[in-house]
Formats: sequence, C-alpha cells, structure tokens
Amino acid sequence: MEGRPAEDAVLVERAQHGDTEAYGDLVRRYQALATRTAYVITGLSAEAEDAAQDGFTKAYFALGRFRPGAPFRPWLLRIVANEAKNRRKAAGRRVTVDLSIAEDRLSGDTALSPEEAALASERRTFVLGALGKLREEDRLVIAYRYFMQLSEAEMADALGCARGTVKSRLSRALARLREIAGGEVGLGD
Amino acid sequence: MTERPEDGGLERTLSEIGARLDGPKRDLWPAVRMRIAERRARPWWSRLALDRTTLAPVAATLAIILVAAFLLTPDLAARAAQVLRLPGVQIYQVPQTPTASSTAPALTFAGQRVTTAVEASRIAGFTVRTPAALGDPSAIYVETAPVRATIVYESVKGIPISPQAGVSAIVVEFKGSLETQIMAKATGPGTTLDAVPLGGAVAYYLAGQPHQFFFFDPAGNMQPETLRLAGNTLLWQDGGVTYRLEAQVSLQEAVRIASTLR
Repeated sequence: MEGRPAEDAVLVERAQHGDTEAYGDLVRRYQALATRTAYVITGLSAEAEDAAQDGFTKAYFALGRFRPGAPFRPWLLRIVANEAKNRRKAAGRRVTVDLSIAEDRLSGDTALSPEEAALASERRTFVLGALGKLREEDRLVIAYRYFMQLSEAEMADALGCARGTVKSRLSRALARLREIAGGEVGLGD
Repeated sequence: MTERPEDGGLERTLSEIGARLDGPKRDLWPAVRMRIAERRARPWWSRLALDRTTLAPVAATLAIILVAAFLLTPDLAARAAQVLRLPGVQIYQVPQTPTASSTAPALTFAGQRVTTAVEASRIAGFTVRTPAALGDPSAIYVETAPVRATIVYESVKGIPISPQAGVSAIVVEFKGSLETQIMAKATGPGTTLDAVPLGGAVAYYLAGQPHQFFFFDPAGNMQPETLRLAGNTLLWQDGGVTYRLEAQVSLQEAVRIASTLR
C-alpha cells in the first residue's frame, strides 16, 4: 500500500508523456477494481467490462488534467463509476447484481457445515438483492468499503465528497440496506 | 466506525460478497489500447471527409517544413491532429502539403548491410523478423543510432516496384520510445487511414498519395527520411517492436504479409 502511490505516479507521468505501455501497466493493475466498481452499478459482468474499458479510455485522455501527486486509484474509479452510471441510465433498467457464477465456487465456505454454508449463501443472495434496490450512491459507498477496501480518503475522492462525510454516508447506506434486508435471513446475528 | 452489535452480520456478509466478486474475465488492456487508438483516429477521419471536398484541388504532397512547425511550436503541436502513437511513431495530418521534389532519391540505405536476420538481430539487440510472404530479403540494413533495421525486397512477384525508391517492399523495425526516438509521418488530405486487427492487436494502414517520413534522433535533431518507398504503409507493434511495411499492396494483402512475420 505504501509503495503504490509513488509507483502509480511514475506510471501516470510516463503515460502523460506518451508512454502508452505505462498506461497499460496501470490498466492491468486496476482492471479488477474498475470492473467491480462498474459491476456494482451495471449489475451485468459483460457490461461492467465494457464500462471499465471505456472508463480506462476516458481516463487516458483525461490524464492531462490529472493533478500531479494525487492518488490515481480513486480518480480512476470515479471516471469508471460515471461511465457505468451513464450506461445504466441509457439502458433504463434496474440493477440485479448476480453472483450465481461466483457462488458456484463456494470459496471460503469449506469450513462450514453444509447447512451453515447454505445459510451463508442464502444471506449473500438476499443482501445482493437488497443492494440492487439501493440508490446508486449508497451501493457505491458500500462497495468501496466492503468490496474494495478503499480507505476513507480514497472513498472521499472516488465519491467526490468531503472526507468528513464518508462515515455518515456509509452508515446511512448501511441503515437503508438493513432496512430492506433486515432480519429476514438472520443478518442481525 | 462505531457499529451497533447487529451490524456485524450484515458487514460480514458484505465482505463475503466482496471476496466472491469476480474481476474481469480477460485482460482489458488490449481492448483499451484499441479504443485509445480508435479514439485518436476519430477526429482525423471526420476532418478528412471535409478536407476531401474542400481541399481536393490542392496539390498535396509532403510538408517537412509545415510539420516541423507543428512539432516544434507547442501551440501548433497541440492543434496538430495526432492520430497514432505507437511507441516511437507519431502521425500528424496536415491540411496541405507543399509540392515535394519530383526527383526520386537514389536508392541508398543507411547503416551496416548484413545478409541474415540473425546477424541483424545481433547488431540491433532485438529479434529482427522477416515476413515469410515476401520471400528472401534482398538486403538488410541495421542502424545503431537510433537502432533500426530496414529489410529491403527489391522485387517481389505481384508487388509493383515503387517509382520513388525502385524496390517492391521495405520492412522497417525498431524499438521505439517517445523519449528516445520519434518518427513522424505527415499525411495529406489524400491519405486514408484504416485501423485493422492484426494478431490480437491493432494495425494501421495508410494509403493514398506518397508520404515522406522523418524522425527525431535521440539528440532531438530532425532527420529527414527520404529514401523510403513512401507507398502504402502498414504500421503495427508486437512485443515492444514497431514494424512498418511499405509496399503497393491492398490493406488485406498488407495484413496477410504482416501475419507471416517469422
């Protein structure tokens, strides 16, 4: 984590001077995060990849406006999220975040009894359903915190809000999520 | 963050979901690189359509002076329509190019003449490859400042001999980077540009009137490159090396030749 900002900065600077392959390194470094971000908004993995690609492309042409020394990751995620939002608006549909493929892997559930694993899976499915009913901004703040483990400062940058409001936004989003998902599958334990 | 006791279950479930979210199913960089290249090409295309009608009568040949002005003056450079930036390669479109000398330069190539690609590779420091479709090269020249290999095919069956240089085809290969070498190519309104897929990457095909090349050496001096075919040109990049095929062939044929690089 400590080494990343400097290294990102070096790659960004090289990319700003026309080294396209340096930008390729940044794309490979952040493509998983970018795709997840887009996925949380679009809900479809194919569309998320497409949105992430467009986000990376737009970010490349916006590099000239990138503030030297600023963290690249949240700046990029903000662009990707905007791209995904525009696509979802254009498509005019609700989000259904579908993890059926990921659920097949059952990774992490191996230590659980079959009943516990089934319950955990059911909880995830239910929470995902509830997430899909949240507002985009609430979904994003939750995703940045729990899916991508961004720091508060990074979340503030990625969401375009003051650092001081990140905590309150996150707890409001969690409260709304709990309201929708609340209690039905044992989330209160 | 202060949590109420019941937050634990929800947060744990959210973290579990996060651990299961897939990343992209494939490397996005090739597609992003393609989109970047296509977006660079876009304004050039649209302007080209206008130019064709408005500037058709203009005798458009090459413009070393004009392009040099574009490159050397920051404001103008910013306005120059840069359509392509492979490592070491930049293409600028200029609205009008002054008449070039009609005198064809003598067919000479700079650098050390070698007989095999293996020898060329040893001098160049990277693997010099030749397209099998063109047969055996007539000559290979290797320059070391900057490092560049030029493979000459004097006569290839089915490919006309260029009136500009008196050979059928030329393949130029170099490890380019913008910091160490910039080669620029001016394209006039009569030139068309196509982006085509080639081996999972993108290649660029320039066709139309003859072009003239020049590049900046590592010291920043502009070096005119007047000894090339200046015919239809396919530019592509593979493994950090930029390739340029010049031959009077169609786009499809150029791509076919490029795909036989060995």
